[in-house]
Amino acid sequence: MARRRLGATGASPHVTAPPRRRRRTRGFIQVAGTVAAERLRLNLFGHAYLGVGAVLIGLLFYLAIAAQITSASYDITRLQDQQRQLIAEQDQLRYQEVTLHAPAQVQQQAAHSGMERVVPSSYVAGQEVAVDLTAPVGASPTDTTPLWMRAVAAIVNTVGGTRDVMAATKK
Amino acid sequence: MLAVAIVLAGMVWSRLAYWQVAQHGMLTTAAQAQFREFVELPATRGAIFDRNLTQLVVNTTVYSAFVSPDQITAAERDRVASGLASVLGVDKTAVLTTLQSNAKFAYIQRRFPKAKADQLRVLKLPGVGLQDETQRSYLPGVGQGTTLAANMLGFVDWNGNGNYGLEQKYQKLLAGTPGYISSYRDLANREIVLGTHTHQDPVNGSDLVLSVDANIQYAAEQLLADGVKKDNAESGSVLIMDPATGGIVAWADYPSYSANDFNHTDAAAFKDNVLSYVYEPGSVMKVVTLSGAINAGAIAPDTVINDPGVITVGGYRIYDWDRRNHGNIDYTRVLESSYNVGAIKAMQAEGHDAFYKNLQAFGLTQPSGIDVAGESFIPPPSASAMGDSQYATTSFGQGIDVNMVQMLSAINVVANGGRYAPPHVVERVGTQVNPVLLQPQRQVITPQTAAKMTTMMQQVVQHGSGWTSRVPGFQLDQCGKTGTSQIPVNGQYTGDVWTSFVGFLPAQHPRFTMLVVVRKPHYPGADHDWTLNDGYLTAEPIWQKIAQTMVVDWHITPDPH
Repeated sequence: MARRRLGATGASPHVTAPPRRRRRTRGFIQVAGTVAAERLRLNLFGHAYLGVGAVLIGLLFYLAIAAQITSASYDITRLQDQQRQLIAEQDQLRYQEVTLHAPAQVQQQAAHSGMERVVPSSYVAGQEVAVDLTAPVGASPTDTTPLWMRAVAAIVNTVGGTRDVMAATKK
Repeated sequence: MLAVAIVLAGMVWSRLAYWQVAQHGMLTTAAQAQFREFVELPATRGAIFDRNLTQLVVNTTVYSAFVSPDQITAAERDRVASGLASVLGVDKTAVLTTLQSNAKFAYIQRRFPKAKADQLRVLKLPGVGLQDETQRSYLPGVGQGTTLAANMLGFVDWNGNGNYGLEQKYQKLLAGTPGYISSYRDLANREIVLGTHTHQDPVNGSDLVLSVDANIQYAAEQLLADGVKKDNAESGSVLIMDPATGGIVAWADYPSYSANDFNHTDAAAFKDNVLSYVYEPGSVMKVVTLSGAINAGAIAPDTVINDPGVITVGGYRIYDWDRRNHGNIDYTRVLESSYNVGAIKAMQAEGHDAFYKNLQAFGLTQPSGIDVAGESFIPPPSASAMGDSQYATTSFGQGIDVNMVQMLSAINVVANGGRYAPPHVVERVGTQVNPVLLQPQRQVITPQTAAKMTTMMQQVVQHGSGWTSRVPGFQLDQCGKTGTSQIPVNGQYTGDVWTSFVGFLPAQHPRFTMLVVVRKPHYPGADHDWTLNDGYLTAEPIWQKIAQTMVVDWHITPDPH
């Protein structure tokens, strides 16, 4: 069916556009495959050999991977066994360490060194310190710094009041 | 012909259906059993620490050697037997006999240390395998055949179950929850690690932190052993408590055993005499009797009574230990010299009902509830079932059975300002504080009564039967009370006695309360004079030596006067 274009000038003569040719691009593999097929000119047996070869390569690849995995699993088992041995050794060392500090060992070592327990003959009587924790804290100390010093400090230190008083009165 | 064929085919099909449908589950299980393995992943048992975080128990790995005789050729048997005999010290002939048998599996030796296992590995003996197992290793004790605090800690058997003591009481918390792994095995029974696994991690057991001090524990065990040997006694025990918290500082028994060698130990040695042995406390009970009477206002330390040395109660004549007339004496003197008549009169002044309530309040009519397995407890008769004579004997500690934890906790009420501190051994489980420590303590007697009893117990050390317990520097500042009671056999009292001494120091601010009990002492010369077996010569010197050690170790100084 012809299509009419509506325009301000009314009907215009129908013009058909020339047909566009779609441009198809061919990939490298397609090109190479076609070229190889043309050159090899494989017959049916050739295709079969190729298929079997591909399967064989796949099988070998699978076997290699499986062997690698099995070998890795044996390595892991061996390492786990090694880890168990190391943990056992660590436990043994810990027991030795704990035993070295045990009272029985300490006393034995002390006795070997000629040490003996001395019984104190007298004690210094303790003096109780009178600290009234319930007493009120009291007022904060007043700043007795001279005015001129505060003025200088205000310029030099840019703070008012001396530092210790400020610290004491800081909330 | 067709019918026969159909019948035969039907038989084959039905058989196939039977195996493939009806027996599917069983066959699947059987097949999986050949290549699938379910392995339990054991949880690590929790460690046990003392109050200073000294580890008291360590998990170590030990090994068991086994052989598979069917995998060892006849030519190799001699080499295998020689190797096993040289490393493990087993009899070569016996090993050869095992190897010549048709057995698939046989243990050669069980639970030996890693050093031997390493030697065996180097030899690479065919058909010999090593199996690793976890073992609890405890610290060495005083003697060769003992481990530290064995009776309190208990031990863990080869199946991983705690037996006796803390190991049994806290079995569930210490053991944790085992995990598991389900994996595949190859033809050589080696695990194929990379594959489908079902895996559940184990939950390890919690660590315990105790109130026990390992150094004091060791000193107590050592001095107790020396004392029991010196007294020619059957056995002895020491229990030390922190007065403010009720935490046990030391728990010693003599004789004891090695928890590392429990499988070669007589089962009778596992019994813990502190908790599993009930005894009649003797005159130590007078502290409870007089405290209750003072608290009830029935008597005062300076109340004077007449003590003719004998009193008749319920038709029985009950004597003082020396059977002498003491005339008019006050209650301070009654406690100092431990007179039975005075204790009976205090109980009578207070009344039976009030006295019984005192026994309840001091925790002597129910188990102590301490967190150690194996508490023995004999409940006294009800208040109405007790006769006059039993009330009388109970007032001075005969005719009532208690264990050491009950008795020490009762006396500790005086040291703790009149409050009952629940006895316990575990301070923390993992990071959780023992709930017992967070509960308010029950007020048994008033602080004023506790102060009066403290002064009376000081007098016992200064002027009475507690004189052999005096620690240099603390003579004026320690409290104590002796106890001696005859041992009944088949309802009759014998010449054998339990002797005990309980005390605490410094008097006003006690750092520890300690009870020493010696069972069946035979002090040199006691054949002629039975009083030589008394607490002041047997239990008291042990108490004094341990207290001396604690004063030095804990830097305790006397109260200022």
